[in-house]
Amino acid sequence: MPELMSHVEFRTALENAIKGKSANKAPFSIAWASGKLSRAHLACWAENHYHYVGPFADYLGYIYARMPHRYLEAKDFLLANMYEEEIGGDRHTDLLIRFAKACGTTAERVKDPDNMTATTRGLQSWCYAVAMREDPIVAVAGLVVGLESQVPSIYRKQTPTLREKYKFTDEEVEFFDLHIVSDEIHGERGYQIVLEHANTVELQQRCLKICEIGAQMRLLYTTALYHDFVEKEIPLSELDHVEKRVPNDERALLQA
Amino acid sequence: MPSVVFHRNGQTFHGEVKENTNLVVRAGIRKFPYPNFLYGCGMGKCGKCASLIIKGGEHLPEPNWKEKQRLGSRIDEGYRLACQLWLTHDIELSQEATPLPAAAGPSDVA
Repeated sequence: MPELMSHVEFRTALENAIKGKSANKAPFSIAWASGKLSRAHLACWAENHYHYVGPFADYLGYIYARMPHRYLEAKDFLLANMYEEEIGGDRHTDLLIRFAKACGTTAERVKDPDNMTATTRGLQSWCYAVAMREDPIVAVAGLVVGLESQVPSIYRKQTPTLREKYKFTDEEVEFFDLHIVSDEIHGERGYQIVLEHANTVELQQRCLKICEIGAQMRLLYTTALYHDFVEKEIPLSELDHVEKRVPNDERALLQA
Repeated sequence: MPSVVFHRNGQTFHGEVKENTNLVVRAGIRKFPYPNFLYGCGMGKCGKCASLIIKGGEHLPEPNWKEKQRLGSRIDEGYRLACQLWLTHDIELSQEATPLPAAAGPSDVA
């Protein structure tokens, strides 16, 4: 029977729930970081990623509306997060489209929902379902801690490669740079909210479970991008030489 | 652990941060130098986090394209955008009481 964890224990448990299935172990991420992808592959990524991150303020809007007024600081955080995604500086999706254009696709293709894969549609739908149906603190755990907080570590690994190996300019990769700062803030604030308000055994366990599922969903999405767009040209055996440290349990998922 | 000395509004604040810390991220998560540190978009556009580097500037990387575009000639006066800096060494810096007005950077001149 699980017991109520202290903030320190709970934080460690949340980090472990995410760590095991981190999306930067996916073959698409490994191929990206090693410079093996073509610009056409990256264009496909952008055409899908838009439909996952584009509605992020929408997801947060649903959580905001259902967050109790007594959690005013959490509501303010969600509002600030939405503002920063959309109008705090450049709209984040505009920067994604700038990158997509540099990869050879168009804004129209990126925005067209017919260009996302079924798996991307599944991830987007899961995000909407969590935002609309879960307890709002559990939803913050799933979407902000489980998904958004992973972004800095992924982009920190991928962004230098975009400049050095793929030869993109600074302006073309601004989408990735800004997320290292803003998502680090958002992820950490998400942790603070979840640590403070998940104050029962049941809520803590639900937060842990949804973080685990969120990380699995993101890994599933990224792995599908590999199978749908990259596998024919870059087989898994080629990536094995690059990343020998993918744990066995994840290797099974990568090859599913 | 880099030591940070920060001046604003005639007050001085001291703190220690982990290596590779960004002060805008720190303020964003409500830790030192919050609530005294001015910042905005976190993406090098608004310039609200512009800071005059008093000591430790030699350990910072060269200004990036966003800093050059936003700060223009103020870089020569010692200003940097805190949102673009990840600290690895001790630093002393100050911010104006109100955000620095936009400089005539290369994009403004064009």
